[in-house]
Amino acid sequence: MAYRVLITDDSPAMRSFVRRVIELSGFELSACFEAGDGAEALAVLQNEWVDAILTDINMPGVDGEELLRRLSADESLRGIPAIVISTDATENRIARLLALGARGYVTKPFRPEALRAELERTLGVPSD
Amino acid sequence: MTDTTIHAALSSAVADVLERMFFLEVLGEAAEPPPEAETVTVHLSFDGDSPGCFRMRIARPAVKVVAADFLGEDPESLTDRQSTEVTLELANMICGAVLSRIESSATFRLGTPQIETGDTGKHGSAEETRYTVDTGNGTLTVAIQMETRTCSPTEKYAS
Repeated sequence: MAYRVLITDDSPAMRSFVRRVIELSGFELSACFEAGDGAEALAVLQNEWVDAILTDINMPGVDGEELLRRLSADESLRGIPAIVISTDATENRIARLLALGARGYVTKPFRPEALRAELERTLGVPSD
Repeated sequence: MTDTTIHAALSSAVADVLERMFFLEVLGEAAEPPPEAETVTVHLSFDGDSPGCFRMRIARPAVKVVAADFLGEDPESLTDRQSTEVTLELANMICGAVLSRIESSATFRLGTPQIETGDTGKHGSAEETRYTVDTGNGTLTVAIQMETRTCSPTEKYAS
């Protein structure tokens, strides 16, 4: 099965990297959308249905925390699992984001297989 | 917090970031390049339980190589903008990894990485803890100064 994923990060380089490592890891994508902040992500979600959202936290404009709040507040969007990708590996931040509705958390730096594993866990994909 | 603890965090963070995200193995600790060396310097401030500043100085030849590895592109096909974006992201990731290692229960917020221009990018502070590594294509020096504020307070926050 192939999945539709939305990558939200203010760094175009990081968005490109995440997309590439998902593909390199063998995770099948049928569509991959990109957004530069939470507002752009919500705009994409007005028109496109996705299986999962990968989001950075610290972004100008609507940041990752606010994106998680808005997803949780929207009945039509709250079912989409969001995975946070962040350099911040501190316990407080991870607990806070999970409480806001994040279903997964990947700390940069990460290996491609770690991102794939978190995507599969979050989407309930049976392991090989 | 001891200088040794911070130095160990710098060393471990650099190796981890370069290996996992840039597919590069560091060749070991190296001597810091002289001020006149052709390098690019990035700085960012961070706030939180232990505010401070982080600097990264990377040899120009290494910039193209790490950017190409990160983006999966041919170094010759990269634009300056792509190289700059990746260099900023590299600094952001190393700084976050260092701070997470220094105190896992702390809270911090990273500022926007910015390229330093002119001589400001070539001289470190005596209060910084510094670590230089050989990337195989030039050196990478990272430096961190905690609990003092010398970076611009007007920086916007972003990852």
